[in-house]
Amino acid sequence: MNTISRRLSENEADLKQRFHPSSDIVFRAFALQDRTMLMLVYLDGMANVDSIETQVLRPLLHGGLPDGIDRLQSLAEALRREWVPLANVTTETSMEGLVKQVLQGNVGILADGEASALVAQVQAYEQRSIQEPSKEATLRGSKEGFVENMRTNQSLLRRRIVHADLKMESFTVGKYTQTEVALVYMQGLADEKVLESVRERLQKIELDGVIDSSYIEEWIENSSFSLFSQIQNTERPDIVSASLLQGKVALLTNGTPFALILPVSFWAGLQSADDYFERFVFVMLTRFIRYVMTFISFALPAIYVSLSTFHPEMVPSYLMISIATARENSPFPTVIEVFLMMFVFDGLQEAGVHLPNQLGPVVSIIGALVIGQAAVEAGIISTPIIIVISLTGVAAYTIPRYSAALPFRLLRYLLLFISGMFGFVGFAFGLIFLLIHLVMLESFGLPFLSPVAPLDGKRIKDLFIRYPFWMKDGRNKKGRPR
Amino acid sequence: MKRSILILLCLLSLMSASACTDFVEPNQLAFVMGTAIDQGEDGLIEISEQIVVPSKLSGPFEGGSSGDAGSSVVMSATGRDIFEASEKIQKKMSRRLMTSHRILIAVSETFFNQNDGGKLFDKLGRDPANNLRDIMIVVKGGRAKDILMLPHPMENITSIAAGKELQINGLNKFSSRQLIVEHYTDGLRPLLPVLRMEKIKADDKESRPMAVLAGFAALNKQLRVKGVLEESESFAAVWMSGKETYQGLTIPWKDGHGMLSFRLVRLKRKIRTRSCGDSKCAELRVKAQAYLLENTTSLDMSQLRNMTEVEKYMNEQIQQSFQLTMDKVQRWGPDIFGIGEQFHRRYPYWWKSRRDNWDELFKTVDVTVKSRIQLVSIGSSGGPMK
Repeated sequence: MNTISRRLSENEADLKQRFHPSSDIVFRAFALQDRTMLMLVYLDGMANVDSIETQVLRPLLHGGLPDGIDRLQSLAEALRREWVPLANVTTETSMEGLVKQVLQGNVGILADGEASALVAQVQAYEQRSIQEPSKEATLRGSKEGFVENMRTNQSLLRRRIVHADLKMESFTVGKYTQTEVALVYMQGLADEKVLESVRERLQKIELDGVIDSSYIEEWIENSSFSLFSQIQNTERPDIVSASLLQGKVALLTNGTPFALILPVSFWAGLQSADDYFERFVFVMLTRFIRYVMTFISFALPAIYVSLSTFHPEMVPSYLMISIATARENSPFPTVIEVFLMMFVFDGLQEAGVHLPNQLGPVVSIIGALVIGQAAVEAGIISTPIIIVISLTGVAAYTIPRYSAALPFRLLRYLLLFISGMFGFVGFAFGLIFLLIHLVMLESFGLPFLSPVAPLDGKRIKDLFIRYPFWMKDGRNKKGRPR
Repeated sequence: MKRSILILLCLLSLMSASACTDFVEPNQLAFVMGTAIDQGEDGLIEISEQIVVPSKLSGPFEGGSSGDAGSSVVMSATGRDIFEASEKIQKKMSRRLMTSHRILIAVSETFFNQNDGGKLFDKLGRDPANNLRDIMIVVKGGRAKDILMLPHPMENITSIAAGKELQINGLNKFSSRQLIVEHYTDGLRPLLPVLRMEKIKADDKESRPMAVLAGFAALNKQLRVKGVLEESESFAAVWMSGKETYQGLTIPWKDGHGMLSFRLVRLKRKIRTRSCGDSKCAELRVKAQAYLLENTTSLDMSQLRNMTEVEKYMNEQIQQSFQLTMDKVQRWGPDIFGIGEQFHRRYPYWWKSRRDNWDELFKTVDVTVKSRIQLVSIGSSGGPMK
């Protein structure tokens, strides 16, 4: 641990060596009227130099020291106490501390003959303004979304929950990125055990860098090998606020607009913020559609294959004959055909995600023409399979959160594989294994399938039917307010 | 870790290797839509299967049209029992026969007359590959096989046509499942629809033969046809056996001028039993709601007096003609109405000693028919057209 030297030139040399050969570091030296040398150290573009100039430099350079003050004994002390009209000023005595402050966008002020440095908190860097979250758009409700700056995000939450019980504990994660992570919770509502385990897991993180909250998510979740994510991510401050009031815990990460919410259950992925903004009777319908579509999104290809190739007697006669007619000249077995189509569908989807906006239509044209029409006309793919795959694909989009739909896209393949081998017997086994896995899964002590298994009469009021707010008490039993 | 992954992979490949032969693609299946059972030579059974040819069928995916030529084929074979005959058909086929989607089983009347039907239908109940929803019909005056071969002006496949024809006319409960239930019930005998081939001129070209419903056959305990009810009587018999849901009715008015036509809905019947002397008596009460749809008499139906009179007259007419049908069926012997079942429930000990002889005993039982039909509507216009 190097301390700051009394000689300015030594300090300057040390700092220059540390930052060499970065070009964005600025050293500005100037002399006061009494020949005392001062030096400002900051990173260009990260600090608001204007305020330093107008409020520190100009009075010092032009006005000089006010009368009646002796020769400077301690410039830093004097500056801090008397003359510098800046709100947030601290002193640093170690070189490492100073470097860290400069890296965060603060301005260090060094003076010849001083063994400490003043740090003016004048961080100011370009950042995105608050916009509507694009991934989780709602029809009604707040249009504000989180941004990359954590302080802004914290203020978004503070503005929604105006209560001193809203706590934000700070952690620093990442060896190089030194990312600030805030543990946000409502004291008294959040489960103390959950908080303790989150704190413990956060402190155990050993990462070089935290680029996104997903890094933290992977490090602290219970079962990393599960298909299902046990932590919810959201860009919406209203969702986070609502979750906090339900006794859940949120993690804000500097540098990403995605906040983490935990613990969550399986059903959280299938619920949208709009469910709480629209009339509850209508929400009943939308939720029903969503749940059915979710089932379709992972089961339909498997069901189609089992029905048409293993149990044709279960299909209504006319439908079965229609299917047989359409599949009369198909060169591949049904299961292979379904697999090919699913693969192509996912390929198109992946291509569409990564293409620049201008090229987006190209994929849909090629996809629609080549796969939709040519393949059917050439007799390689049969029409019912196109219907099944399109329905499956559309069904997956009814799941409100992108990341919640991902496990179902994967399950689709697994179930198709096992159904292609064993028909409904395999399908049933696949579902049983899925249920076993889900029942065993936990998110920070909360069973993943709750409130269905184990049954929780209070919280189930928000599952199939969202009861009107005055009829339900959606809070976790453990965290009931005193 | 490596070892367990290897074992898992081996198991997976083993599983897929053993399972991949299990599936049958739809284009490896021959969907049987109808089966005809005829009397073959030398006491053998002749089975004919009507099989869909999907490639000739323009499915709904391409926008279907009716009456596709060659959309089905009929394959026949003879054997000592049904299974043997169908195995012979299977040997001639490139695809596996699939009977689960069958709609129609047609049996020729001669077959019923020469064979004990009970033995024949053992396979229906025993083989799980039968869906038991298929309709069982009797073909009169001809071979059942011919019915399957007839083209139908509206439907692709004749079997589908026959099935729809019964369904659309409110005749349900004629499935082979129902037949099996009736066969195993002591106090109830099967009633099967009878189809007959008839020349019908459906378009300006020559008239073509078509299968039309020609009445109902009453079968006895051994599943032999004891008699065939004519069209007019079959209406009464089907209603009284509780197998019909709606029906039209036209009766002449008592002064002989003009007719009254009704639509009868909510057809119901109720059997009441009582002791009379040392035997038992039964009363069968039919109930329905009548809607007047056509009135060519001079009656002004908006008059309450006329309405009650028409209702009364209709009941009398129905009661009278139903009683005639009842007497006719009683003369033949088979209890298609399930009156025996009512005795079974009401007087179990009396029934126990008589159930084996029910076909004979039914002839002597006194059954009266009562009619309770309500006229619920006289239609949109009240009086006769001026």
